[in-house]
Amino acid sequence: MIQKLSVPVSVTLVFDHRRRTAAPTQVVFDGREYRILKVGFHHTYRRGRTLFQVFSVAAETVYFRLVLNTDNLFWTLEEIHDGEAG
Amino acid sequence: MTVRLVKLGFNPKPPTVMHLDLNSCFASVEQQADPFLRGRPVAVAAYDSPGGCIIAPSVEAKQAGVKVGMRVRQGRSLCPELTVLPPDPNKYRAVHLALRKLLETYTDKVCPKSIDEFVLDLEGAPAWRRGMVQAAGEIKRRIREEIGEWLRVSVGIGPNRFLAKTAASLRKPDGLETIDESNFRQVYRRLAVTDLCGIKTGNLVRLNGQGIFTAEDFYLADEARLKAAFASVAGYYWYCRLRGWEIDEVVFGRRSYGNSYALPKSLTDPEELLPILLKLVVKMGARVRRAGWRARGVHVSLLYRDWSHWHRGQVQAETVFDDRDIYAAAVKILGACPYRKPVHTLAVSCFDLVKAGSAQMSLFGEAERKERLARAIDEINDRWGQYVITPALMLGTGENVPDRVAFGGVKELEEAVMAAV
Repeated sequence: MIQKLSVPVSVTLVFDHRRRTAAPTQVVFDGREYRILKVGFHHTYRRGRTLFQVFSVAAETVYFRLVLNTDNLFWTLEEIHDGEAG
Repeated sequence: MTVRLVKLGFNPKPPTVMHLDLNSCFASVEQQADPFLRGRPVAVAAYDSPGGCIIAPSVEAKQAGVKVGMRVRQGRSLCPELTVLPPDPNKYRAVHLALRKLLETYTDKVCPKSIDEFVLDLEGAPAWRRGMVQAAGEIKRRIREEIGEWLRVSVGIGPNRFLAKTAASLRKPDGLETIDESNFRQVYRRLAVTDLCGIKTGNLVRLNGQGIFTAEDFYLADEARLKAAFASVAGYYWYCRLRGWEIDEVVFGRRSYGNSYALPKSLTDPEELLPILLKLVVKMGARVRRAGWRARGVHVSLLYRDWSHWHRGQVQAETVFDDRDIYAAAVKILGACPYRKPVHTLAVSCFDLVKAGSAQMSLFGEAERKERLARAIDEINDRWGQYVITPALMLGTGENVPDRVAFGGVKELEEAVMAAV
């Protein structure tokens, strides 16, 4: 089931200077740690002048939509999908 | 005087035009973002409520019979495991911009036709010398590697835009087809007239009236017969198009700005429509001013739940650019509507555009004061976000008039490209 929400979340993001990539590698949500296995898509949007970085990522059994506010560097979890239809 | 019509043969030039169509665009992008949706029936709908309109089913949903335009409840009855998602325009615009950037590495003649369709002319480009089919294969591979491995495009190659688009529609998803001098007759033989882009019921009736029932009949018809069918220059355009000659490489300038909103629940009373009308005006007004325009005309359109339609445009005494003036004109137009029926879609637009600098100055500086105020409000909204400062009447409109991608439009995409630069 896909659930929309808006909650602060802890995210580890790694910048690899050799590959020139930056991507979340770990999410801590609801007391559990999830290792990110795949970045499905990355895009950005602006609200006013504030730039938001959106990472659509998948752990083993869960999908997360993680949004980084580049003004304050806070992460928000906006969507979670447990892999089930609906 | 009699004019002798010259019989035109099929364009013998090697095909250089490529049409790319991102298959099931919105749904595929959602499946790209969320790997758990891949291989499953997914539909992006304007609203995920049962009455919401499906705007993009995934390949898997299409295989289950789900089609564009169906209601969510109908889609779910055909495919109970259907996952329905609301649109995420920013995600789709990001894919559009990434595709555009990738295609511009092949030629500077890249023309977006909609959010999920591009036309490239590779004539003289290094990729063309390597071969069109090889270039198309390389583009498909690069899209999977550089933008998203779940994204598939159907590519059509032809001597003109029309045949390239027709070729792209021959095999979906992930097709790669060419129509040229060597095979166009075979292709026409297996297509219905309505398979051709631009021929729907109205034109079909016109063609049937001239004894044209198949795509091949259409091709074989001479110019005089096509002119008789369409009763306009359109007959000559079709005569050229079907023979691979380019007549669609036309760029139309911006002639209007507009915003519309399909109401989630029926509203009949104009009083209830006014806050939404104002929100549409505020959204449109900011776009008009950002692009440096003013407008002489304001237009309001109402599509009712019974699918009847009422609209009216009015040219103003002075050019308008301020939301208050556009809104006042729109309210006046709406007040002239004689019907009180449940409204499905409300739309407002500005037409007869003039560049802001060329508009006549007002005698007492009223327009200049309004302009400064509008500019100040726009700057605050640009800094802190859309609708930070709004007219009080707009309070309570909340989630109404959300961000949307215009169907088949490219003008709005130009604004997205400008914003990304």
